[in-house]
Amino acid sequence: MQKGFRGLGAVGVVLAVALGISACGGSSSSSSSGSPAQGRNGGEATVLMGTAPDFLDPGLAYTTQGAAADWITYTPLLTYRHAGGKQGGEIIPGLATALPSISKDGKTYTFQLRKGLTYSNGQPVKAGDLEYTIRRSIKVNWGGKSFFTNYIVGAAAVDSGKAQKISGITADDATGKITIKLIKAYGAFTNVIAFPAAGLVPTGTKFTNLSNSPPPGVGPYMITAVQPNRTFTMVKNPKWASFAIPDVPEGHLQKITITINSNTQAEAQQVLNNQADVFDPGDTLPPALLGQIRSTAQNRFAPVTIPSTFYFFMNTRLKPFNNVKVRQAVNYALDKRAMARLASGFLKPECNFLPEGIVGHPTSCPYGDPNGAPDINKAKQLVQQSGLAGTPITVWGEMRSPRKEYVDYYTDVLNKLGFKATPKIISDSTYFPTIGNEKTKAQTGFADWIQDFPNPSDFYLLLDGTAIQATNNQNFSYVNDPKIQTELAKLNPVPTSQLNSVASQWQKLDEYTTSQAYEAVYGSEQVPKFQSNRMNFAASTIHPLYLDDWLNLSLK
Amino acid sequence: MAIDPTASGNELSLELPGAIPRSGPSEEPPPAGIGPYRLALRRLRRNRAALAFGALFLVIALMCLAAPWYAKHVAHTGPNVNHITDTVKVGGKTENVVSIDGNPIGPTWQGKFFLGADANGRDIAVRLLYGGRNSLEIGLIATLITMILATVIGTLAGYLRGPVDGVLSRVLDLIWAYPVVLLAVALGTSLALGGIDLGLFQLKGNSLLVPALIIGVVYIPYAAKPIRGQVLSLREKEFIDAARAQGASALRIMTTEVLPNLASTLIVFVPLIIANAILLEAGLSYLGAGVQDPNPSWGTMISNGIPRISTALHLTLVPGIMLVLAVLGINVFGDGVRDALDPRAEVRIEH
Repeated sequence: MQKGFRGLGAVGVVLAVALGISACGGSSSSSSSGSPAQGRNGGEATVLMGTAPDFLDPGLAYTTQGAAADWITYTPLLTYRHAGGKQGGEIIPGLATALPSISKDGKTYTFQLRKGLTYSNGQPVKAGDLEYTIRRSIKVNWGGKSFFTNYIVGAAAVDSGKAQKISGITADDATGKITIKLIKAYGAFTNVIAFPAAGLVPTGTKFTNLSNSPPPGVGPYMITAVQPNRTFTMVKNPKWASFAIPDVPEGHLQKITITINSNTQAEAQQVLNNQADVFDPGDTLPPALLGQIRSTAQNRFAPVTIPSTFYFFMNTRLKPFNNVKVRQAVNYALDKRAMARLASGFLKPECNFLPEGIVGHPTSCPYGDPNGAPDINKAKQLVQQSGLAGTPITVWGEMRSPRKEYVDYYTDVLNKLGFKATPKIISDSTYFPTIGNEKTKAQTGFADWIQDFPNPSDFYLLLDGTAIQATNNQNFSYVNDPKIQTELAKLNPVPTSQLNSVASQWQKLDEYTTSQAYEAVYGSEQVPKFQSNRMNFAASTIHPLYLDDWLNLSLK
Repeated sequence: MAIDPTASGNELSLELPGAIPRSGPSEEPPPAGIGPYRLALRRLRRNRAALAFGALFLVIALMCLAAPWYAKHVAHTGPNVNHITDTVKVGGKTENVVSIDGNPIGPTWQGKFFLGADANGRDIAVRLLYGGRNSLEIGLIATLITMILATVIGTLAGYLRGPVDGVLSRVLDLIWAYPVVLLAVALGTSLALGGIDLGLFQLKGNSLLVPALIIGVVYIPYAAKPIRGQVLSLREKEFIDAARAQGASALRIMTTEVLPNLASTLIVFVPLIIANAILLEAGLSYLGAGVQDPNPSWGTMISNGIPRISTALHLTLVPGIMLVLAVLGINVFGDGVRDALDPRAEVRIEH
């Protein structure tokens, strides 16, 4: 993903070809704190959101902003722990009593629904509601529906109108047993079931966009008082506490008012002046206020690293990047400390493709300490050996800051190495479709990936040769390495719950990828955790997937 | 923008100092034996303010022309060279060119980073001078394009009248119907990506000629319409009738009789178009539709500085001041030239 669940639609196409992808992007994730400290119960708070949720209807929401509201309103069978850092990426039972039992071939998942659950309107929850919920997400055209249609037996037939129900999902309302059959083994399927789009809604909920009047759900909060693109309110679901779901507690605040404000300067100023309580972690703090915030609000501000990879892609099909020495030279020459400064300090220098917080993240870097000076001499030597010095290069980039500044710097580095590089900056909205079009023949440029779910396979979609496509391509470097393909065939089907057993294999694969310099990785994004004086700052967390975790917000 | 016409519609009525200058009641009659241009020069010399601002513009232009020399011998860096992790000694103290949290150094008042650095650690003074070169280059080329095409179109339409005038005037109306900035932004954003490819004539998206061409084209109606009005008036004069009576062709009359009598009007337009072209270029570059990376421009420098306006004011202030001075200089000088050539003419281009 590249900014808040964005792009999942495009990814869907890729999924059809390869493994599951996600393309969204987004914004958020966490790092620092693990389990939150205990907060005080009661009270109200105002949360600012820089970008309005794409949808509040769980069957349609596909941005971090939409998910932030939906994942505490529509709890799926499985969900994520309400914590920051690595813990926040842990799959836990939601409405299911336990994690699913998975057949040996990895193609059958069996869940047991908790007993006595009711929706916020009092209607009882039935096991059969899952099939209806997923069918609804497919029929209303959820951006990530390919996660369902590519893996669940019969889901594609429902999508194409050839079937009325998803044959691969069977449920027994009496016992609460739910069985899902997959077309092929997919290790990250538990993550798919944890999407808010799989959060249960009652059978019979209309197959239309219900964002202005969201349907009843099963979660700690309810969405009310929706004024599109202006505000909505989260109020506590009085029934939730009685369900006593161990790892999904009820929230502390009685009421949370979310106000949409696209002016980040005003947004930051309001939180700084305690006129609002929470700055949107999906937004960038304006550099103009950063100094003031760091000096006068240091006890209520912290940058939080999220599992993400920021890198420059290098098209291995085109000169000069079809030469491994040139790609390695770029990795030697990039000064990652400079990149961090361009990001106003909101970038943690990194070197490997799998970021910190993702299973398989290597701890060493063959191109030197990411926090140290670059080795320009070695880089120039490699370029000389390649014999490709002087090659004209177009460096693609987005207009928004600091991405434009990244590209300006990168262009200068390429010129220092002896190439004839010029930047090509285009609008943000057309950037990824443009460089993802094979006809563009983009040589190199900016790219990023923010996890859709904490699984290395989510990142390796970008290096999967079978995922290369003519349009909406995400494998910008056109990597098609037999060794990577062989490893992915073995590692992708491993269930999320067993990822640790193959951590060393993922690590070896990522070390190999780094040695081949398919990408020039320079860091992981950090997001701002910034709150008013009223809030219990220590008790709140930034979630690695959804950024906002309003269950952990509390007043002092 | 709009030409501020004197009396009739959108067309400008200018008196022609070239042939038979019409003296106003308050003006002293020209001394016997002195030509109209010498008289204009004499008037211009008396306008100290215009000369001072003209000199100011000249100084700025010369400074900008000296950009490569300054970059090489004083700042020891180029306009696009990044110094993000470098340090510089200021008053005996070593300082980061760009701080850990991304704030660039302010003016050092010494050779290196005389006016400070930007977020990429690039020397502001060097970029300012190179940006000025680009602005002036675009302004001059755009003015050349405008004046040549406007003169041709205005003369043909005014002299030939009839269907030719009808077609050309409607084309000018079509361009005029769009607000200059909107039209230029639309053209700029589309051409910046793909450039221009007309077979033999090709321009890359980041070429300086792209904004120059766009600005040159969008200003054509604002010069062509008044020129057409002048020609309509001229073609009824006795000396044109005399030329016709001698059997001169239309082309010959236009080139030998009409054009020389348009000279003063064209001279008046040049500085005004240059000033507006520089302003429009800055506006387009600010919006990302003008000068493209890696070329610096005052507009892009202001745009890049906006996010850091409270912590690094120099990023916006310095290019802003240069822009104001350059445009003010050429504008006031242009007004002086206009007053000198024809004190009663009211040539203005307004956005």
